[in-house]
Amino acid sequence: MSADPVIQLESVRKSYGEGAGQTQVLRGVSLSVPRGELIALVGQSGSGKSTLLNIVGGLDKADGGTVRVLGHDYRQTPEPALARLRNQKIGFVFQAFNLLDHLTCLGNVTLPASFAPVARDADKRGREALGRVGLGDYAHRRPSELSGGQKQRVAIARALFNEPELLLCDEPTGNLDSATGHEVIEFFKELNQKDGVTLMIVTHERRMSTIAQRVITMRDGAIVEGDQAGGEDGGPS
Amino acid sequence: MTFQKLSQMVVGNTVRSPRHFVFSAIGVVIGIGAFVFFLAGVLRVQSVLYDVFPLEEVEVIAPHTSIAGKNLSKKLTQETVDLIKTRPEVKSALPRMTLQFPAVGFGKFEGQDIRFEVGGFTDGIPVSYIADDPKLADRFIDGDAAGAIGPACEPAQGKAACPDKAWQYCDKTDRMCHNRVPVIVSPTVLELYNTQVAESHGLPHIGAMEQFIAERGRERMHFWIGLGDTMVAGSNVAVTAKHREVGAILIGVSKKAKRVGLTIPIGYVERWNREFAGEEQARTFSSIVVTLRDKDRLAPFTKWLQDEPKLKLEDSLGEQFGTVVFVITIVLLAISFVIVGISAINIAHNFFMQVTERRREIGVLRAVGASQRDVLLIVLGEAALIGLVSGLIGSVAAVIGSFAVDWASAAVVPDFPFKPTSWFAFEWWIFALAVGFSVLFCVVGGWLPARKAAQMEPAAALAQN
Repeated sequence: MSADPVIQLESVRKSYGEGAGQTQVLRGVSLSVPRGELIALVGQSGSGKSTLLNIVGGLDKADGGTVRVLGHDYRQTPEPALARLRNQKIGFVFQAFNLLDHLTCLGNVTLPASFAPVARDADKRGREALGRVGLGDYAHRRPSELSGGQKQRVAIARALFNEPELLLCDEPTGNLDSATGHEVIEFFKELNQKDGVTLMIVTHERRMSTIAQRVITMRDGAIVEGDQAGGEDGGPS
Repeated sequence: MTFQKLSQMVVGNTVRSPRHFVFSAIGVVIGIGAFVFFLAGVLRVQSVLYDVFPLEEVEVIAPHTSIAGKNLSKKLTQETVDLIKTRPEVKSALPRMTLQFPAVGFGKFEGQDIRFEVGGFTDGIPVSYIADDPKLADRFIDGDAAGAIGPACEPAQGKAACPDKAWQYCDKTDRMCHNRVPVIVSPTVLELYNTQVAESHGLPHIGAMEQFIAERGRERMHFWIGLGDTMVAGSNVAVTAKHREVGAILIGVSKKAKRVGLTIPIGYVERWNREFAGEEQARTFSSIVVTLRDKDRLAPFTKWLQDEPKLKLEDSLGEQFGTVVFVITIVLLAISFVIVGISAINIAHNFFMQVTERRREIGVLRAVGASQRDVLLIVLGEAALIGLVSGLIGSVAAVIGSFAVDWASAAVVPDFPFKPTSWFAFEWWIFALAVGFSVLFCVVGGWLPARKAAQMEPAAALAQN
């Protein structure tokens, strides 16, 4: 395990709105996530979990504090470099799947290749990624022909297409039934343990806590529990 | 993002939204169609005008002035030509000299006897003026410049009297073989013949003069000029020499010929004027054809002409028509641009709606690695594709519309001089310009929506339900 944490947050602040209507979403969040850790981010709705995840993924900007992910200080990283980081090293899985309906499953999975400077064997790698989530035969199906669980697996295949070092998941089981949700959780566990991928999962799912090496609880824009990094053995803190 | 990937994505996005494409493209198609239609039409009208009035040339004349019946007009002489040549606006200055005594043309044409007035309707120009016309240059020569070419001949033998039957004739006065006087006519004369004379006299229509001459043979283009003779009853113009006849041959058509009349090498006119009208008439030009370096030089040249040598330009209908056509061109093109401009606003509106509808999609693209520039290029690429396709469709529509107009013109509009077979001149650059403008206007229309799309925060875009 590398000494450099994959995620290093210091006093991260974020608010929405202006003036009297301004809402503080993150109130000085500090967090360090070492490489290979699987952390679950839990808390009530509106506690700032998704905002924190988006900031870590570079999908949103912090108002203050330091965000350092995979060695990149976001304040000093130009937008194209940040896009390249998302393309090459960070994968996203969303509760709403966010598949593009006009593309096939393979088209969705290989979408990141469209923005890669070099994208060799995109179709082959896309099929491998689909095979990895058990949908090898679904390459030419449209998302509208799939069940919710299958859609989420296609979304996971897309997130894994470029073999990311960091996987950020926002309520990945939120729209799935219990059995399918369990499959997805097991897949994440395997991904973390076998491939060493660092995972940060926003979840309400209690079962996620059983596979997470650390559970971070947020309330009112602050971490109230679990902000200390886990031990070297990766066990829960 | 590579160009290939960008193209694939742009085409894919466009194909899956046909409704959006149609709503965005329809105005551009109309605008570009109008642009191509008008421009091709104006270009054709300009070329017809150019056939009738060579716009790059002006003709300098001396204003007529007389006091108590005495002609005090300034004489156009070689000194005037040399003076005009010193002007920086002038590329060349060539004199024209009108036949200043009565003369008559006569002969047979297509089996019919013809007789026509030549004096006053014939002028001479330097042979160098025709030097750039390969079809005429080698025949438009002053064959009598050094006198008769010989040999001696017997006029009674007719065409057999001289060795070269096509180009020579036996002069009845000096009984020597001479080169026939080469004659050229203007396209206006040919057009007047075709539309006014040919049909009423049962004569053949002449398309390309060279082809007509080749088909009929040179000898059928012969005719005679009776110097000192006239068809005008009661003419009392005094001539200083005895009537005589010279052989002539029509060699072709040139814009540089007298608009209505005949044109021959100026040497003949000088000699004949000297012989029949006196020395002064042999030294006085009727006008000076001035070719300017470009049309923009016309204003300063005209001012100099009025201020210094007290000369003036021949009233140029061509210039007036050219101005009218120019104004009409500007108006029509402005209308086209207004249509395309409104279309660009429509495109902007459509793309703003599209970008709003596709927020989540844009968010997904950003999440998987699209940069702001990638998103900007995707939206602008879609706008450019609409512009490209609309430009092509508009161009095709304009061509189809032109066929309809030409068909209607042929069927309904009666023939008139210089009536074109097509009212449109579709040059390749018109289509290039049309497609270029179409793409440009669409890209301009798509710019703000593209910028909005590119600047969306991915998280906010993904949050859209």
